[in-house]
Amino acid sequence: MASKKKKTTPEQLKYQQLQQKHELKRPVLKNCIKAFFVGGLICMICQAVSFFYIYYFNFTEQTAGNPTVATMVFFSMLLTGFGVYDRLGQFAGAGSAVPVTGFGNAVISAAIEHRTEGLVLGVGGNMFKLAGAVILFGVVSAFFVALIKTLLGVWGVL
Amino acid sequence: MLQGHQSWIFANRPMIKATGVSGGPFEANGNLANEFDLLHEDLWMGEETYEKAHRVLLEEAMHAALSKVDCQKEEVQFMMAGDLINQLTPSNLAARTMQIPFMGLYGACSTSMESLALASFIVNYQGAKRILSGASSHNAAVEKQFRYPTEYGGQKPPTAQWTVTGAGVALVCENDGTKGVPVTTSATIGKVVDMGITDPFNMGGAMAPAAADTIIAHFRDRQIEPSYYDLIVTGDLGRIGQKATYELLINSGLKINSNQFKDCGLLIYKDNQPVQSGGSGAGCSATVLYGHLLNQMKKGIYSKILVVATGALLSPLTFQQDESIPCIAHAVAIETEGGME
Amino acid sequence: MKKIYISCTLVGFIFLASGCNPHARQEDSGMTLLKKTNSSPIQLSTMNSSKEVQDIKKDVSSLPEIYDVAVIKGKKDTLVVYKVKHLQRFRMKKIEKKLNTLLEKKYPDDKFSVSSDYKIFLEAERLRKKIKDAHVTKKKAEKELQSIIKLKDETT
Repeated sequence: MASKKKKTTPEQLKYQQLQQKHELKRPVLKNCIKAFFVGGLICMICQAVSFFYIYYFNFTEQTAGNPTVATMVFFSMLLTGFGVYDRLGQFAGAGSAVPVTGFGNAVISAAIEHRTEGLVLGVGGNMFKLAGAVILFGVVSAFFVALIKTLLGVWGVL
Repeated sequence: MLQGHQSWIFANRPMIKATGVSGGPFEANGNLANEFDLLHEDLWMGEETYEKAHRVLLEEAMHAALSKVDCQKEEVQFMMAGDLINQLTPSNLAARTMQIPFMGLYGACSTSMESLALASFIVNYQGAKRILSGASSHNAAVEKQFRYPTEYGGQKPPTAQWTVTGAGVALVCENDGTKGVPVTTSATIGKVVDMGITDPFNMGGAMAPAAADTIIAHFRDRQIEPSYYDLIVTGDLGRIGQKATYELLINSGLKINSNQFKDCGLLIYKDNQPVQSGGSGAGCSATVLYGHLLNQMKKGIYSKILVVATGALLSPLTFQQDESIPCIAHAVAIETEGGME
Repeated sequence: MKKIYISCTLVGFIFLASGCNPHARQEDSGMTLLKKTNSSPIQLSTMNSSKEVQDIKKDVSSLPEIYDVAVIKGKKDTLVVYKVKHLQRFRMKKIEKKLNTLLEKKYPDDKFSVSSDYKIFLEAERLRKKIKDAHVTKKKAEKELQSIIKLKDETT
């Protein structure tokens, strides 16, 4: 039915062409530039936070990653709660979605959205509505990459 | 009375005796803020959930409409309303409070005209003396239903539209001969049109063919020219849909002037509001028609208008299952009594 | 839009707050991570820089990818920390390997702990300062060196 690229009738095709003419395109280049700068800014802040942990706590460059991520997610939680992050997202696009703050935003926005349905079924059940896919495929792909690396190690390629 | 293929003529000219319009904070900053009876400062409206706030919007609009003509809710025979939430719960819950015999309608964003057409039809044939007909939508509740969480920082493309927070209700009554009151004269029920658009962030583009189809059918059935109307206004096509519809209409040979062809979704907000392509939602056409446009008619700026509300009949489920977006449009002609013949 | 500006300022403030503080408290090693220190190597047994550690430092510095080196030699272990030129950081692993083989070949009797971690560099620098200011005894310095090496081997 639908999934296999439904046959478009000539009439549909004609309209789609007409519609294409009027459709507003995403300003890709402008979006890329905005994403570059906002994303870069977020990463710069991450670097500052990471240096903060290196200076004042017993974290090395290697181990400072974890507390840095936690801190950034905390920041994005605050910004999400204050209703700022979605505006930032509209402005920056991938620049604010790709860094870990975007992941935090996905989790927290879902949690906020569904808190009216109760703590367990609402927040608990829906919190990972958006981020669940990220976690699942992240874990799965990490597993396969590790598997490949181990096998290559065993065979002596690496 | 049926005329042509899919249009009704309301020979008894049911009146839109009073209207009630309520809105949210975003509408309060919009272009038409003065045309609302009630505006809320925040999206919660003093309720615990957005769904309850949605219900409050509709209830308030109904009370506003009734109080304008000093009508008790017991004097109203039927209530017809719809919204975009699962199982029409906000409308159902409002009907529970109102205690008026109720019919829930779903036509997505075209619900406003679907209910007005049906209400007019029933009143025209003495099926009722008074009917409350309306539609409502609530930005946060609808976003939750159809898209991402409201606070999620996803980037909306420029084709996206902003769901209106608002409810518009009309009290449709038997014509008692009062002059200067808007009456409904005819309606055209549209068929579902699907041009294979699958992008849920481009509803205007998907709905345009449905709007064009209904408008063409209306003029064919009624055998009149577009110049008969002072204004042909579409529901929530937005920038893209409106342009596409206009082109389709011109291609079909209808002689429509571009300044007699407007869109509610473009009227309601200011240009500097971040709504991308304009407003949408069941409340969009309802609030703009029952607020702004009818006020203009009463002032005499327009005397005959054709309102075409368009609806995208998708659900988050069908979209994820790769189904394209089926769309519908219903048209109702509204004229001011005394202004003609 | 207004809110975006507010949030940007907020975020900028956080950045400033976390970026500037180090100067306030630690004038001595505060700039370690940002500037080249070129500190003199230290041998804990003599509490001073001797010929051997000087040589180690010179050898490590001879690698073109490396621009700053600190060496601390304890009783058994020798800590070698270095900073890699920014664009060479993609080849960090290779450089470490190269350095290891170089040191092992040249000083087969010594046990080296090699690291390019900023944190280790910072700690080494702090320890050096302490030794220079004669704040610590030899025994305590040795103990601190061990704890730095232990920190280096932590991965999570």
